[in-house]
Amino acid sequence: MRRYFLCLSLILLVGAAWLALSVGQVDEVVRNIVYFHVPSSISALSCFTLILICSIGFLASKKSAWDYLATAAAEVGLVCATILNITGMIFSHQQWGVWWTPEPKLITSAILWFLYVAYLILRSGIATARRRGQLCAVFGIIAFIDVPLVFISARVTRGNHPGNVGFASGGQWAAFGLNILAVALLSAMLIWLRYDILKGKSQMEQQLFS
Amino acid sequence: MNSLYHGIKAIFVKDLVLELRAKEVLPSMVVLGMLIVLVLRLVSQVGDLNLGAMGVGALWIAFLFAALLAQERSFAAEQHQDCINGLLLAPIDAGAIYLAKLLVNIVMLGIFEVIIVPLVILAFDLNLAGGFGRLILVLLLGNLAISSVGTLFSAMVQVSRVRGSLLSILVFAILLPMMVPATFALLITFGINPDDMAGTGMVALTGNFRTAVGFLVAFDAIFITASWLLFGFVVQE
Amino acid sequence: MVSESQVQNKDEPALHIEGLSMRFETRRVLKQIDLQLPAGQSLCLCGANGAGKSTLLRIIAGLLHPSAGKVRVQGYDLREKPQEAKPLIGVISHKSMLYPELTVEENLTFTAQLYGVKDSRDRVKQLLHDTRLYGYRFDRTEILSRGMLQRLAICRALVHNPCILLADEPFTGLDLPSSQHLVAVLHKFHQAGGAIIMTTHDTHYGLECCERIAVLDQAELIFDAPVDQIDRIRFLDDYLTYARQNY
Repeated sequence: MRRYFLCLSLILLVGAAWLALSVGQVDEVVRNIVYFHVPSSISALSCFTLILICSIGFLASKKSAWDYLATAAAEVGLVCATILNITGMIFSHQQWGVWWTPEPKLITSAILWFLYVAYLILRSGIATARRRGQLCAVFGIIAFIDVPLVFISARVTRGNHPGNVGFASGGQWAAFGLNILAVALLSAMLIWLRYDILKGKSQMEQQLFS
Repeated sequence: MNSLYHGIKAIFVKDLVLELRAKEVLPSMVVLGMLIVLVLRLVSQVGDLNLGAMGVGALWIAFLFAALLAQERSFAAEQHQDCINGLLLAPIDAGAIYLAKLLVNIVMLGIFEVIIVPLVILAFDLNLAGGFGRLILVLLLGNLAISSVGTLFSAMVQVSRVRGSLLSILVFAILLPMMVPATFALLITFGINPDDMAGTGMVALTGNFRTAVGFLVAFDAIFITASWLLFGFVVQE
Repeated sequence: MVSESQVQNKDEPALHIEGLSMRFETRRVLKQIDLQLPAGQSLCLCGANGAGKSTLLRIIAGLLHPSAGKVRVQGYDLREKPQEAKPLIGVISHKSMLYPELTVEENLTFTAQLYGVKDSRDRVKQLLHDTRLYGYRFDRTEILSRGMLQRLAICRALVHNPCILLADEPFTGLDLPSSQHLVAVLHKFHQAGGAIIMTTHDTHYGLECCERIAVLDQAELIFDAPVDQIDRIRFLDDYLTYARQNY
């Protein structure tokens, strides 16, 4: 079942890319990166929200399923955040000649990446599963509170990140929408896969050591 | 309420005695702070950079690193001989333990501020144009922010194998939002008006002292409350 | 050392455990434990490593929340009324819970303040005299020997006049004089009306100190009887056989 969805998401991704570069091509070639930049951004933020939900769930119920889901979301979210930052930097360099500038959206993207990394480093440093789940849940909640604050505080500085995305033709919108769908589906499938792996690994460890 | 006050007072006094008796915490904080100030002063000389801006940057960097030094110790002492369980056995709320530890960290960082700020003002030739009151306000708010987040995280990293480095990563990542308004407010306090730092985009925060301080107050309130509420989950199993 | 005042309600059992279960992930550490300890009774809990003894004691002390079940100390629910229940509990474990850089007196005063003990100064002074530690009151605990540290840990557990003492493997690492001193302290506490739950591998200390003996095996209580109703030698023999099979 999951295999089909995974294949579907990959097909969608390829299809969206083809659509983006043919019918939906934006004027300057490099601007096409928006087709991957924005979906990654949406995905990265959604994974972060998922971590928040799982953190609250874990603290309320102490069920380790929430913890596995949070880990999976963090790992996939990190990948999305990495793509987000890299595509952002490529675009920034092409457009304005600078690789990076301390602008609200860019700072937020960078901090998002750092928070994911910090979350995963925190995870890896704790041996007991129960404590790990609890501490990471607390960090997940604190980190989620932090993200909007980063954005607001960075508004004090000036910036040149482009405003809301606007497209000219229907083809472009189609490509955009398809990309968002594809990336979202791919992320969800990867999270699901990762969750199962983590759950299976933990069960195996319990059987071996108890 | 009464028992809450007594519990917080007991832990506060005990921790303060331990910190000051250790005789290594405060000196190392001050020495580290001074070295950071020295290095950045040298760099600004070599690079012919804006002294005022570098001075403010030096101040916050020194605070952050010195605070990490103090905070790491504050919970490390509880790990020895299971002392943290000794605290949890008592009829005190975990939140009360957090508040007590927070107060200790605020005091330690406050003592450090009193020593390092005059040094920075001298080294970077800063001028207290904005007034002493503003300086105290901004330093206090910055202190609260660093202490609130640091106290929570120093309790968290005790179970980890890589305590010190992990604490720095977590604290820096979370404290970033307060660095901008804090620097801003301090620049204005020292008479350096960042005119070209007007807001941008749709709803722009026009940078002025009030908004920066307002943001800091909000940041402090949010994080102290969140940490206080979540602290129980960090120390208890 | 122990005044009668803390044993407020003689009618209520010192400890009442109902349907206590604990699981870590999928592993059941405690299964439906029901236990009642009348006021002033002493119980020794034996069992193999990993049977759940320490976990049970930590739940009773309020350090761990059980997956299911209730714990009541002198009628106060530990979860719902911790402010009333916790002052009634004293804990001795193989970790001293003492700050090495604080002096003997400072450690005890701190604990007394934590529990809101009235006239803490006099109480601390009295305890130090009773355990012959008064001469060391200005010494930092880091320089104390293991035996003295244990004596101080006992003071720490009793400074707030608890009605029930939880002792988790208290004889671990103690030499003979220190062990005998601990036995004496436990007797004195018991005679003053305090209840005791002790876990130990050393079954003959358990039989010596306690009125009741219970065995925890694979998360369940498999044996629970008053000491004067069992054949001690046979019990020790059977327990040794059981221990050999399980280790």
